[in-house]
Amino acid sequence: MLPDYEKFFISPEWKSIRVNTLKIDKEDLLQKIDFEVKQIEWYEHGLWAKGEISKTLEYYMGYYHIQEAGSMIPPLFLPLEEDKKSVVIDACAAPGSKTTQMAMMMENKGVIIANDVNIKRIRALVHNVQKAGAMNVVITNQDARRFDLNSQADYVLLDAPCTASGKIAKIESIVKKWNYARIKAMARKQKKLVEGAYKVLKKDGIMVYSTCSIEPEENEEVIDFAVKNFNLEPEKFKIKGLKTRNGIKKWNGKEYEGADKCVRVWPQDNQTEGFFICRLRKY
Amino acid sequence: MQIKKILNRDEIKEIEKIIEKNYGCKLNLKNLFLTGDEKIWIAGENVSTEFFSSVRNCYRIGIYFGKLKRNYKIKLSMEGATIVGKKAKRNVAIVDDKEAREFAEGNCIHKFECIDCEKNNFVIVKRNDDTIGVGILREGYIENLIPKARRMR
Repeated sequence: MLPDYEKFFISPEWKSIRVNTLKIDKEDLLQKIDFEVKQIEWYEHGLWAKGEISKTLEYYMGYYHIQEAGSMIPPLFLPLEEDKKSVVIDACAAPGSKTTQMAMMMENKGVIIANDVNIKRIRALVHNVQKAGAMNVVITNQDARRFDLNSQADYVLLDAPCTASGKIAKIESIVKKWNYARIKAMARKQKKLVEGAYKVLKKDGIMVYSTCSIEPEENEEVIDFAVKNFNLEPEKFKIKGLKTRNGIKKWNGKEYEGADKCVRVWPQDNQTEGFFICRLRKY
Repeated sequence: MQIKKILNRDEIKEIEKIIEKNYGCKLNLKNLFLTGDEKIWIAGENVSTEFFSSVRNCYRIGIYFGKLKRNYKIKLSMEGATIVGKKAKRNVAIVDDKEAREFAEGNCIHKFECIDCEKNNFVIVKRNDDTIGVGILREGYIENLIPKARRMR
């Protein structure tokens, strides 16, 4: 380890918020708040914000949600604004930032099944869904590796549990927790989650797989597994204004299929956490 | 989630009448249902409450709207109050920024302007067009009903 590695940790002055358009328009919100904001270039409802953002009446009323900018990216890989009345499964939903973002994209139409296996985390999910006024959300408490829903979805967002190494520049404890055995164990779980998500996805439906990890084993290797074992085809996808890079094709002597269609968001490119996203279509 | 009753059109109209009587506004609500504790919930128009209530480990459908009370009254949740508050013409208390913050923090408030308020009934507390929450109008003050978990911290 580098002797002066502490220097790499950043405590960002600018945090990020997402306007909750289920409750307020962006223009109206901008007139009410008195902290400094800047537009997030690649997402119209996302704002960089500086100052006291968690103790305002507007936050209390649910007019905006404090959400790491990188976490706003995966829902944008689903065509929910064009297909509002669809059925969406958010397989690992808690604490609900992406769930409520999708509810907003769908203008409370359609259905979002927001699932999480952890009952403690579901309480946070319930709180955020209620506060956002997300009426099209149904919360379930199941293990996404073995879904029992009696229905299939048009879209599945699988924002899988991960080692969160993409947060490494912001949260120092991530460095201390890092170990290879944990990455391998997480990758095994992620592959099972992909299988569970695949089973509840309709034919021609889209699954978005994402993590906030930068480890190839948790990302490209999982996509490689999905492509080789299921009827899933990765699709290239781009968000205007967001700097992204392709997935890693080779790692530790392994070659990954579909990596060129995966998206990596590196922390230094957009001042976000590191994220990995892949859009897959079921055929 | 244990659903006691999915409300039909006539039953929803009854709820709308309660809201009209208490808040002086007409709403067109859809997809309401009751749970055992007389709590009213509201789900999106495309959510099949009946279907999801049978799904294994279904924890929550839609959002909490409010609770039916005796004497044709209704205690609205914060989100229920936000829906009703946009059109409410009575039992509304208007507060300034300072009082709004006090109320959001869970305190009772003493400075407010009442719009057709009935003593000992629920009132929607608003700052301009923003709904801050729900309280009960007492003698000279508004009792705070914002649950702890929902308060501004």
